[in-house]
Amino acid sequence: MNILVVEDDRSTMEHICSGLSDKGHTVAAATDGEAGLGLTMSEVFDVIVMDRMLPHMDGVCLLKTIRKAGNRTPVIFLTAIDGLDDRVEGLDAGADDYLVKPFAIVELLSRMNALVRRSASTELRTKLRHGTIEMDLLKREVRREGKLVELHPQEFKLLEYLMRNEGRPVTKSMLLEHVWGFNFDPKTTVVETHLSRLRAKIDLDFKKPLIKTHRGLGYSLVS
Amino acid sequence: MLANRRLFNTVSFKLALLCALQFLIVLCVLMTINYVVTQRALEEQLQSRVHDDFLDVTQLAKEQDQDSINREISERISEPFFNGVYFFASDSTGQKVAGNLDEVERKNGWQTLSLDADPSAPSEAVPIRGEGQIFPDQSFVFVGKDARQLIMTERTLIFSYLGSALIAGFLALTAGFLLSRGLVRKIDDISTTSQAIIDGNLTKRIPVNGTNDEIDRLSVNLNRLFQNNQKLLDSLKQVTVAIAHDLRTPLTRVRNTLEKLRHQPRLSHTHKSQLDAALSESEQLLQTFGALMRIAQIEAGTRRQGFTRFNLSNMGLRIFAIYQAVAEDAGKILEAEITPEVFCEGDPDLLLQLCVNLVENAIKHTPSGTTIRLKVVAPCQLEVSDDGPGIPDTELGRVTERFYRLDRSRSAPGNGLGLALVAAIAQIHEADFRLSDNEPGLRARLIFSQSAGSMSG
Repeated sequence: MNILVVEDDRSTMEHICSGLSDKGHTVAAATDGEAGLGLTMSEVFDVIVMDRMLPHMDGVCLLKTIRKAGNRTPVIFLTAIDGLDDRVEGLDAGADDYLVKPFAIVELLSRMNALVRRSASTELRTKLRHGTIEMDLLKREVRREGKLVELHPQEFKLLEYLMRNEGRPVTKSMLLEHVWGFNFDPKTTVVETHLSRLRAKIDLDFKKPLIKTHRGLGYSLVS
Repeated sequence: MLANRRLFNTVSFKLALLCALQFLIVLCVLMTINYVVTQRALEEQLQSRVHDDFLDVTQLAKEQDQDSINREISERISEPFFNGVYFFASDSTGQKVAGNLDEVERKNGWQTLSLDADPSAPSEAVPIRGEGQIFPDQSFVFVGKDARQLIMTERTLIFSYLGSALIAGFLALTAGFLLSRGLVRKIDDISTTSQAIIDGNLTKRIPVNGTNDEIDRLSVNLNRLFQNNQKLLDSLKQVTVAIAHDLRTPLTRVRNTLEKLRHQPRLSHTHKSQLDAALSESEQLLQTFGALMRIAQIEAGTRRQGFTRFNLSNMGLRIFAIYQAVAEDAGKILEAEITPEVFCEGDPDLLLQLCVNLVENAIKHTPSGTTIRLKVVAPCQLEVSDDGPGIPDTELGRVTERFYRLDRSRSAPGNGLGLALVAAIAQIHEADFRLSDNEPGLRARLIFSQSAGSMSG
């Protein structure tokens, strides 16, 4: 992927850039808003990662300018740990996702992957399919190899999010945000509890487990 | 009613009552003296008039005989200006010989009799005060006067004195009452302000009215004390937040370096697990700092602009749906009692976190088998209670302090900031957050102020 990173803190910039290039991505870097804007106008990126606080032109302003120019490139907004309002401001300005600094590179990668997929297939679907799993979003029904699996609404939502991301791993915080709307870290095993219940039901009559755990990264559906 | 009872219980009112009582006693003594003196003077006046008549009559007796006395008496009675003078004369056998009285006791000196048959006022007996003398020849003469005037005057005196005493007493009490009410109000101001400060509203100050009296000076000094207190607390908070803020950047770098190292190829298994442990520790630290700064930011109150009207019942149901399974896995029972369509004015994100914090606290800090109850009640009230071990009364007020942890949960994971965050979120919503004994267990209750509730309609 061709990624633009706009970040003024050298240490964070270095961390992101090396992490992304290690995974084989092409990274362009800008250390202030104006430079970032210039790059978006001369080059096409798959994803833009930008900080909230930037010299010359701050993140919100940069994002608004880009969107006004008709640029729909997915944007991940980086906010400080105490930037409570930054998240809302960023999403309002047109960001597709946000991350609180500091974050793990795998978290950023997972989110970027999810975003790029999402922007590629934005059509409304009433049925989701992954391998032998079928999900009917209207009837709220799930079938594995044609066999109906009864799921609790919480488990249904969880499986839906995993299916929308197909085989790509999703992190714990992505699940918390997108399935349960938690913008904070709960102190109990919310994700693990619902995931283990989902597994118990969906794997009940089948030998092959459907959901894979990636240590230190997250979960994904097995294809 | 309550205010009145409180008024009667104040020191100043009791003082006012005592003063009024003393004043009344002094007044009564003075009035009694006055009354006695006046009464004496009036009686002496009457007696002297009677005595004049008596002397007139008895003078005759010395110079002339009994008959002329009798004649004199008869003449005086028949005078056209009969002025309420009463006479009686009897001979040596006690037989009445002259006078307008029927019977008088034979004795020397003063006596008071009562004349029953007064044709003008048959119901009222006429009191007569007079002087009698038994002469050497055993004949008897009595001269008396109508004493109604005297008694009337005495009565008038008594009534007027009683009236003045009543009025004076009433005035003294009213003055005391008013005086004490003013004082009570000022002391109440001090009391309510201190209570507000104890409850966490550190910016509250006692109103000063500029009279520069003792209470005013006390208020000014107390306000200064509160000001200093607030400054100290603020600087303490600022220092904590500043430390967290300054340490965050280097810690982030440490964390990032650790992550980079972790992804180096050809690491031994031991190195990997050690790096993982270091990473998770540094993340824990960053989270604590983050929570601390989040609390500071919430307390700064900038979030208020994000307030919207939202459905508190739906939030409760959502949390119940998510946490029922979590509680079950932890061996606890989560129950919900949610009144539908309860609306609230606030920040939905923050209130979700508040409610999650309370439910998670109840799940984490109770033994298995505990029942946890999540309640949403109209108008705008949220409650999480459990029947677990609860929190000792002495520590109830302290658990919302930053980093404060109960002895028994020190070993459990957590940073001691959860309830501090809850308190901060409650504070910017101007909601009353209270922890109390659920008998048994702990009850955490959040009551939104009526103004917020009425906004939601």
